[in-house]
Amino acid sequence: MILSEIRVLICDDSILVRKKMTDLMTKLGCKEIYTATDGENAVEQYKTNLPDITFMDIVMPKKTGVEALKEILAVNPKAKVVVASSVGTQGNLKEAIEAGAYDFLQKPISDSDVEKILNRI
Amino acid sequence: MFTQFFGNYLLNQRLVSPEQLTEALELQKTTRLKLGVLAINAGYMTAEQVEEVHNAQQRMDKRIGDIAVEMGFLTKDQVEELLSSQKSGHLLMGQALVDRGYMTTAQFEQAMRSYKAENSITDADFTDVQNDKACAAIRKFYGLDALRNSKTYTDYISLFFKNIIRFIGDDFTPLDPEQITSYSCMNAAVQKINGPISFVTAIEADDNAYIDFAARYAGEPLNCIDEMTNASVGEFLNLQNGLFTVNISNDSGMELQLEPQENSVGAELNDLAEAFRIPLAFPFGTVNVIIAGV
Repeated sequence: MILSEIRVLICDDSILVRKKMTDLMTKLGCKEIYTATDGENAVEQYKTNLPDITFMDIVMPKKTGVEALKEILAVNPKAKVVVASSVGTQGNLKEAIEAGAYDFLQKPISDSDVEKILNRI
Repeated sequence: MFTQFFGNYLLNQRLVSPEQLTEALELQKTTRLKLGVLAINAGYMTAEQVEEVHNAQQRMDKRIGDIAVEMGFLTKDQVEELLSSQKSGHLLMGQALVDRGYMTTAQFEQAMRSYKAENSITDADFTDVQNDKACAAIRKFYGLDALRNSKTYTDYISLFFKNIIRFIGDDFTPLDPEQITSYSCMNAAVQKINGPISFVTAIEADDNAYIDFAARYAGEPLNCIDEMTNASVGEFLNLQNGLFTVNISNDSGMELQLEPQENSVGAELNDLAEAFRIPLAFPFGTVNVIIAGV
């Protein structure tokens, strides 16, 4: 996909991370950018907007990122959900991949890693 | 890391006051390193020789390097080497203190020499945060050797310094730590780490320092304590603790869990064991890091 056609959903309870990611997606020229502040909201936003790619924090209120990821995959088994966490331990990585994550990003999220993922889809 | 501890050394030797040190931290961003300080640091010239060259320069229109070569204190190669050498923070701080007249060149020379000798360090060690010498200095400075989990605390603090330098700035001086059993926070981000070893961690400061710390991490101006300011301090703490648990997991296979970080005003931390308040003096104020076993 070309960047200007990509529709992105950013799920993170931190306003700072949402802003940084939104700024980056805007700079890269993504077509639509949606945001969610907790796991429950992430699933709702996914169902409403059906984005091409979702970036998902793990530790969030109401529903964890991994729980939200599983629900999104139940809606669309081909959904591309990138799990982002400050805790990239083998355990968390394994849990995310087993749950069906498209990729895993260790925080702090680097702009170039996000760009590489967007260029790959 | 020795760059930051050098400021504390100057304080403890009573060579500078806390106010002068804060001013030097602020000034070092715009300070231009001069050949004299570089030559003293390299051990090529004494403070006395530097003074001599400076005095000579007032009588002639020549560059300091050329005069030092003419007077036989330096070779041309040494001048080249000094001018292209790395401009470490401790030298910038020293230069700022000398420029402001808070220290003489001779005091700077003496302090540098004693500091390097006492810590058995070379120039290359100054900026390294996680090598053996830096970890030994951290254990000594914070009195960690007697602790049950000495290595864990050392790893946590050295990683913290590394992240501070990477994401906030290298213009800070660690002030003397305090062992605590309880602590009343002003503004704070608090996060618990649970597992075979459990900790409470916090970053705490007064309004101004909290906002400026947050602004540096966010990379944008912030001017009050709002959701963005709290998120910035919280996210920095979360990042530090996340990387710490990854390192622990990689080193020992131990899996630690992070609780979501919380922001609060006036939080009371009680019943703390093996707990430290680690104050860091920045130009904008002092930020406290709290690490406590639970």
